[in-house]
Amino acid sequence: MLLDPGMDLTLRPMKYPAFFDRFKDAIKNTWTVEEVDLHSDLADLQRLSPAEQHLVSRLVAFFATGDTIVANNLVLNLYQHVNSPEGRLYLSRQLFEEAVHVQFYLNLLDTYVPNEQERFEAFAAVENIPSIARKAEFCFKWIDSVYSLRELKSREDRRAFLLNVICFAACIEGLFFYGAFAYVYFLRSRGLLNGLASGTNWVFRDESMHMAFAFDVVDTVRQEEPDLFDAEMEQQVRDMLAEAVECEVQFAADILEQGVSGMSLGDMREYLQHVADRRLEVLGIEPVYGSKNPFAFMELQDVQELSNFFERRVSAYQVGVTGTVSFDDDF
Amino acid sequence: MTVTQDKTTVPEQRRHVMQVRKRNGDLETVDVNKIVKAVERWVADLDEVDPLRVATKTISGLYDGATTAELDKLSIQTSAELIGEEPQYSKLAARLLAAYVEKEVRNQGVATFSQSIRHAHQQGLIGDETAAFVARNARKLDDAIDVSGDLRFEYFGLRTVADRYLLRHPQERTVVETPQYFLLRVACGLSQTPAEAIGFYRLMSSLAYLPSSPTLFNSGTRHTQMSSCFLVDSPRDELDSIYERYHQVAKLSKFSGGIGISWSRVRGRGALIRGTNGKSNGIVPFLKTLDAGVAAVNQGGRRKGAACVYLEPWHPDVEEFLELRDNTGEESRRTHNLNLANWIPDEFMRRVEADGDWSLIDPSDAPDLPDLFGEAFDDAYRKAEKKAVKTVKARDLYGRMMRTLAQTGNGWMTFKDRSNALSNQTGAPGNTIHLSNLCTEILEVNSDDETAVCNLGSINLGAHIIADGVDWPKLRKTVRTAVVFLDRVIDINFYPSDQAAKSNPRWRPIGLGLMGLQDAFFQLRLPFDSDAARELSTRVQEEIFLTALESSAELAERFGPHPAYGETRAAAGDLHHELWGATPAQTERWATLKTRIEATGLRNSLLVAIAPTATIASIAGCYECIEPQVSNLFKRETMSGEFLQINSYLVRELKARGLWTAPIREQIKRAEGSVQGISELPADVRELFRTAWELPQRALIDLAAARAPYIDQSQSLNLFLSAPTIGKLSSMYLYGWKAGLKTSYYLRSRPATRIQQATVSVAPIAVADDEALACSLENPESCEACQ
Repeated sequence: MLLDPGMDLTLRPMKYPAFFDRFKDAIKNTWTVEEVDLHSDLADLQRLSPAEQHLVSRLVAFFATGDTIVANNLVLNLYQHVNSPEGRLYLSRQLFEEAVHVQFYLNLLDTYVPNEQERFEAFAAVENIPSIARKAEFCFKWIDSVYSLRELKSREDRRAFLLNVICFAACIEGLFFYGAFAYVYFLRSRGLLNGLASGTNWVFRDESMHMAFAFDVVDTVRQEEPDLFDAEMEQQVRDMLAEAVECEVQFAADILEQGVSGMSLGDMREYLQHVADRRLEVLGIEPVYGSKNPFAFMELQDVQELSNFFERRVSAYQVGVTGTVSFDDDF
Repeated sequence: MTVTQDKTTVPEQRRHVMQVRKRNGDLETVDVNKIVKAVERWVADLDEVDPLRVATKTISGLYDGATTAELDKLSIQTSAELIGEEPQYSKLAARLLAAYVEKEVRNQGVATFSQSIRHAHQQGLIGDETAAFVARNARKLDDAIDVSGDLRFEYFGLRTVADRYLLRHPQERTVVETPQYFLLRVACGLSQTPAEAIGFYRLMSSLAYLPSSPTLFNSGTRHTQMSSCFLVDSPRDELDSIYERYHQVAKLSKFSGGIGISWSRVRGRGALIRGTNGKSNGIVPFLKTLDAGVAAVNQGGRRKGAACVYLEPWHPDVEEFLELRDNTGEESRRTHNLNLANWIPDEFMRRVEADGDWSLIDPSDAPDLPDLFGEAFDDAYRKAEKKAVKTVKARDLYGRMMRTLAQTGNGWMTFKDRSNALSNQTGAPGNTIHLSNLCTEILEVNSDDETAVCNLGSINLGAHIIADGVDWPKLRKTVRTAVVFLDRVIDINFYPSDQAAKSNPRWRPIGLGLMGLQDAFFQLRLPFDSDAARELSTRVQEEIFLTALESSAELAERFGPHPAYGETRAAAGDLHHELWGATPAQTERWATLKTRIEATGLRNSLLVAIAPTATIASIAGCYECIEPQVSNLFKRETMSGEFLQINSYLVRELKARGLWTAPIREQIKRAEGSVQGISELPADVRELFRTAWELPQRALIDLAAARAPYIDQSQSLNLFLSAPTIGKLSSMYLYGWKAGLKTSYYLRSRPATRIQQATVSVAPIAVADDEALACSLENPESCEACQ
């Protein structure tokens, strides 16, 4: 079983081919930080209102540390306990992607914040910005909850581990990041900070896959060990998501403190609740909030993009295309 | 924490006390009814719009203490966000935006068109001649403004106009012209009489025709650079020439031109440099410098500079060239801002087919290769093979080209021999086309000291359709007006480089294009790949080419043929479709025209080119050039922001059938704008509303080849494969070459995985399973996918 302790090394016969497919798909989406052109952002930063500037500075401060925390949990917990070589292939790939995201936001901050002292402060957000510290504490709590486990021997160990996986997928990548993406896409829908948005678009694409993989892990365990999932666990997940929503709402209150037209705190809360409901649904748990998505600009993320190449780099290509020259393929 | 909660859990209470700050600084309580009234002003013909919904949604996004300007902007944004549910909100958003722009203009004391021109002239924006022309004819021109003109715009179009085309005050950055003033200003910049200006203004204002962006940007201003395309010959194989080209590219780019530049004459890596007895580093480091240069110059602040580099596949650095856009590898050998195109002789394709060898030859060993085409090239190439730097399998190199296309969309396949053999400009020896342009629709001769130039404009075919087909008299009239004004640009134009100034008056080429072909097909209910669609597209193109030639002959009667006319194939009695070997439908008109040309010659060496029309199609609210729709529901990303676009023909169709419901909308969204899996829709509806990804690409090539005889330059033909493989691509491009295409453009593909949809419901809808069953092999009778 997937959570049995050990270091399975056998790729054939493959027990979890779906994990391997995810690994291959992820490789096709390779992108590099150098492809993101931030130069028009610098002009935009000058035009932002003080309220928007505050929003951006808080947002990038969160990004400066967010992916690092996820990467840490991946190495410290996930990689250790997901005992499938193909699953670990995917996790290795995910780790690489997290590193690229960290590099992207590092590059972003270096570009956005030319003043060295201010830059140091942004990177220290976890310590000195309370609304970000609160979110970080939430993450650390869940990292620590399983950190001492070397092996998942008991039912309790496994449940603890599942909660960690669910926390990182549903609450951190699935809610904190989705909150952050909403600010980025809000700005882009107003034609602002295209560089940030195009890099974030690729980050978002990767994060969607990370989340999907984590939920695959949960589903696999559910099939293998259905008795791990019970009402108590459901309640724990609901509580965890409720806490995550509160963490993110207090962050929103800070970020929107000065008033941003088109993005009210009330709408943001509704959006976060809506996202939380979706995470519950994926986990087969009855949604609790019944909120609707108030942000039309998020709906824009759900449809195909069509860039005018004069204006934007198109992000829709694949790497790792295969095959050989032939003249009678169907097209 | 507690404070936050209180604020957000009782939004109703908060809304009661919400206030906005007026322009004079006073605070005022936000009133839903006031917003409703402001919206109601514009909805007389928009029966599906709900003003209350716009008002409440606007207020929900507002914060206490916002300004009234913020409120106005938010209401525009809010209407725009409802387009996915009901396309009429697009018109509403456009009208609210027009009102906002109008307020901004009026606040500067501008009440009429002529006042706007005077104001802008004082700010140094308008050229003296246009200012004087408008002052002389103020009353006539002011009266010509169509006050209901803005009602025709969709939101995305007007947003584009407002953000990037309207002239702005140099310091205040406020707009100094309304959308209608802008179009009349463009007309005045190209006109000699008020009647002429008003006629051209009306045509543009009806959105039936639009000149290309540089003309819209710059006509009537102090810098009248109105050409879209520049084709720069390869630098000579020496340092001074290479650096001269950087300078030229920068100057051309500054004034909104898109640039094609060849690099085939510059020696490859490892070739000897006699002057220093060193070895060359090849073309890549030079292209890296070009890349940085292009990125540094933005087009008057309105869009990024853009260039495409052309290379012939016998060049020794071709393999490194094909890697320039890869996103991995050594950064110093990557050029993220340059587009890449292969300029391919037939000999290469023949060897690919025959699975032969291919020799890479250094240009310093065979300096005449770029100037030769057809048999002369074949002979010279075979002789030069003795000196080959390297020999590869032709198929291996072709495979690498395909890989580059699949992974970057770049590395466009353009065919040197076909482009030259059929060109009107290559009638005399020594005249060679060395490359195409940034968008692969322009094919013009150039040389070391002549840079080819082209001005473009496109007819909106969707605006020329009546109940039973094309409105031919209207189309003819549009073509005649368009040709006159495209030709006019040549004389008024400001040329950013000496090389460009030299070429254009000699050849006087223009590029009249087409957009909205997909609109026409939707209006006439023709599936994109049907025989009837192909026939219509071909006949439309024949009509355009024929009428354009007639107009050019008429101009030649008045002003004489263009100076290089004697060197053209037309002068020898050969027109493009005849060289192609096509059989036209309008035989009598062609015969009359030929007699006329014999007597008068032509004012323009080239007339027709189908450009991508990315931005002007947005303004006109139609589909781009000759392309099929990419999706029934998609977003456009531009510098102005993101915009949801929905296929309004589909919405109309579904409404008529009572199928425009929330569940169907959700299914369309879930399927990323495809309707193929929606079993509630009848088969003919699904067939009509296929997307570019769902059409056989063979049909796109067949349509292009069928209209190509009537395009004396070329067409920007994009091809679409969601999951490209080397096998599919190599088959497709070989087919395109054999069909006689001169050029092709982007290969569009889709990402391997996508962002998880955030706003469609999690639970899959049952239809998905029905569809799987319908398509399975166990149930072959009900499967339509493969028929």
